[in-house]
Amino acid sequence: MDVPRQRATRQGSVALTQEVDRLKAGVSADVIIELKDVEKVFGGLNSRYVALQGCSLKVKRGEFICLLGPSGCGKSTLLNLIAGFERPTGGEITFDGEPLVGASSKRVMCFQDSMQALLPWTTVAGNISFALSVRHVPRAEWKARIDECLDIVGLSASVGRFPTELSGGMRQRLQIARALAANPEVLLMDEPFGALDAMTRTQMQLELLRVWERTNKTVVFITHDIEEALLLGDRVCIMNKGPRSRIVAEYPVEGPRPRQLLEDRRIAELAGRIRTTFATFETADQGRPGV
Amino acid sequence: MGNDNPKHERDSARALPQADAARRTTGAGTPPMFADALQKTAAAFNRLFDAPPLILTMLSFTLFVIVWWFFSTYLVNPKLIPSPALVASTGWDMLIHRNLLKDIGASMMRVGVGLALGTVCGVVVGLLIGRSRAAAALVDPVVQVMRNLSPTAMIPIALVWFGIGEEAKFFLIFWGAFFIIAVNTTAGVHSTPRTRIRGAQCLGASELRIFVSIMLPSALPYIVAGVRLGVASAFMTIIPAEILAAQEGLGALLQQASLNGQIDRMFVALAIVAVLGYSTDRAVRYLAEHTFKRYTAYLSEL
Repeated sequence: MDVPRQRATRQGSVALTQEVDRLKAGVSADVIIELKDVEKVFGGLNSRYVALQGCSLKVKRGEFICLLGPSGCGKSTLLNLIAGFERPTGGEITFDGEPLVGASSKRVMCFQDSMQALLPWTTVAGNISFALSVRHVPRAEWKARIDECLDIVGLSASVGRFPTELSGGMRQRLQIARALAANPEVLLMDEPFGALDAMTRTQMQLELLRVWERTNKTVVFITHDIEEALLLGDRVCIMNKGPRSRIVAEYPVEGPRPRQLLEDRRIAELAGRIRTTFATFETADQGRPGV
Repeated sequence: MGNDNPKHERDSARALPQADAARRTTGAGTPPMFADALQKTAAAFNRLFDAPPLILTMLSFTLFVIVWWFFSTYLVNPKLIPSPALVASTGWDMLIHRNLLKDIGASMMRVGVGLALGTVCGVVVGLLIGRSRAAAALVDPVVQVMRNLSPTAMIPIALVWFGIGEEAKFFLIFWGAFFIIAVNTTAGVHSTPRTRIRGAQCLGASELRIFVSIMLPSALPYIVAGVRLGVASAFMTIIPAEILAAQEGLGALLQQASLNGQIDRMFVALAIVAVLGYSTDRAVRYLAEHTFKRYTAYLSEL
């Protein structure tokens, strides 16, 4: 988990200590997550699979960054490394200037399968209470925090419902609300809208943007959908297909939100370039020279 | 056909396949009245199975008793299969005059104690093996080998170790239930979705918190399933155990009746065992569903 001395100090001096540490480490206060030449290998002697190799990335504080790539390109592996669920076999990952070791409530993940991620045996309020209880938030504050988090995601009317009674979109909102209850610095999202129908997905994308603008968290968002990445991200990072995946290109996305993908010429151009890049993955994969 | 009244048309529309079949089997020259009656009977027969489950269950048992009565009265020697009426009256006599309740109580008490012990130990060991890699490596192989020793196989050794008293029966019931419940509990722990565990980890939950709040509830449906199987095993174990060494109990009743050549009393004992096993299973299911409703209900809605 995280630096032990933080536990003893109050919020204000915690922030100050962190700032000083960062300046000492010579790290820009701007960069919250940094991956340097990260490598991840699975398997033992006989069945080695190099999922990631030479993967480098800098995530700026408060930005919305999208990791875009075809299936099997190691996006989830990368996110698991950032979350701390797995350790890299090579290279290093730093969070806030400190080496990243293990999972922490500063980096909360929202998963694609909301039914599996949530606690199905307790209500919406109960799920958020779980997060508050784990964070040792005093009981007296729970009601206010639950109301606040549900209000941000628009689930206030469903306080007493169970996850099985909610639609897919509502369950994802609950996941986001639960994540916010833990007050993280970074939201990691592993294709959260992948299992939703197209209309709900569009709705949820706009919801997520609202949440992000309201709470100012850093968001690392994984998707295989080019349109989704361009709609949501400040920056889009393309990953190539595995093995040995890495981030092959980064594109800043300009234009105010909500973005009109079809009407904005720059974005349409960008989409075209990204599609071409993906096409080269396909042909490289098939062993034929690019057309 | 074009002159049919509306209601008739509706009925025939619903029972069309039967109507066609009726017309086909009865032939083209059949008076319309016959085909009509046939089709109405077929439809009524099918509607029979829309009745409430309780009625159908009673119908099933009534049919069973009728077949049994037929066998015992006309087909088989009544010394081999007594008639239902005789079994019922003997059962009543045993209940009022011959301490049937005492035997039932003795058997149920042994089952109860053995199950309680087996459940507690089985759950604890199952959780340990499921959660701890060290425990799994050290304890699980032994459990996997030993569980092939059925409680019945353990009867002789139980009699050597514990004699013919109550402890031997407790041990045998415990033995059967323990392995079943341990194996199911371990499966339950392993069935916890990794996503759920990781979700709790990234919120900052400790290992203990994850075990208590995530793994245990996820394992509960499996534990309940294990207990139900343990109940079944207990009922199958108590009878041979009591046949071999008991003064009271349903197995003892069975054995005594067999030695005395009292086929009717044997049938009473068997009927009681069958009904008791079924009732206990239903009771356990009902209890589990209501006590642990929130931990099992969501599975059917997935």
